[in-house]
Amino acid sequence: MGVYSIRRILWESYPVLVVCAVISLSAGLILDTQTDSIKAFPLILMMVPPINGINNNVCSILGARLTSVLHMGVIEPSFKKQRVLSKNTRATWIMSIGVFWFTSAIFFVLALLGGFGIGSSLVLMLAFFVASMVAIAVTMFCTIALAFVSFKKGLDPDNVVIPVVTSIGDICGVTCLLIAIKLVLGV
Amino acid sequence: MAYRMSVRTVVIQGLSVLILCALMEIFAGNVMESMKERLTVTIPALILMIPPLLDLRGNINGALASRLGTALHTGVIEPKLSMSDELRVNLTSSLILSLLASATIGVLSAGVGVLLGKSVNFLAILTIAVVAGFVSSVILAGLTVLVAIIAYNKGWDPDNVTAPLMATIGDVITMVSIFLIVLLVG
Repeated sequence: MGVYSIRRILWESYPVLVVCAVISLSAGLILDTQTDSIKAFPLILMMVPPINGINNNVCSILGARLTSVLHMGVIEPSFKKQRVLSKNTRATWIMSIGVFWFTSAIFFVLALLGGFGIGSSLVLMLAFFVASMVAIAVTMFCTIALAFVSFKKGLDPDNVVIPVVTSIGDICGVTCLLIAIKLVLGV
Repeated sequence: MAYRMSVRTVVIQGLSVLILCALMEIFAGNVMESMKERLTVTIPALILMIPPLLDLRGNINGALASRLGTALHTGVIEPKLSMSDELRVNLTSSLILSLLASATIGVLSAGVGVLLGKSVNFLAILTIAVVAGFVSSVILAGLTVLVAIIAYNKGWDPDNVTAPLMATIGDVITMVSIFLIVLLVG
């Protein structure tokens, strides 16, 4: 008998995917309510996949690492100070700051090439960076909480934790991005 | 059991993959920006389904990659490109899942669009979701198998390398598929 069954994979995954689709759809809804800002400043669209994609990647890595160490019994599922937990969050912060500085710098160059002045390109770059840091902070917190909950309830990390984390990450990313751009550009 | 984790190793391995991912995501953003007219004006409800469709691809292929990773490590699948029963079951279920979930996203987005009082072209939205979903799934299913086998042979960490890489490649391929279908549909 085979190890996998199509029916089981479908049965386990489809409900989670639908829940995630509904959460991500809220991110789409937030974008949809802001079409006027997007029309005034289409660069927002270019920033959506990077902020969501990278946020999700960074937090998926954290989620996967945490579920592994939870199962190995290295950390306990609680927010109290634990060495391996703080090492993991530190590594996640360093990676986030590194990759988002890099991405922000590219947007600075793209804004310059797109005809923005040096001043407004810098402001835009900072807005993207601050938005991504806030989004990362919120998504990281949700990731840690979800890893703990899934461990206590015995949910599958690959099929449950990571998909839910990425959907929540979408809402955080889009919201922070739109607020930051609206604040600095007033569009 | 001793557990050792070096922040430096995690950061170096993670950052190099993430920088590569960032570049690909910016490209996906570029494609998205080039559809701005259609997203904001001509095709109502299209913008609603961009985040869920992108996520879906990452979720299905991320899970596929990690199942394949586990199967390779436990010896259920051999690290070469030949069709075994286990591989066939994994691929088939990913494709079915992808079609079902893409259609669900299309229906949900069109429904939400109608609730918002938009003049939604239901057929166009469903076609874009399902066709873009199917095209990108077929391309990605092949790539996922390839990447899982390469990752296994090279000893890449499935959590730190394979999953982010697959999610990002998924974003790019899905975005390009949506772009092409949208061009065809109008």
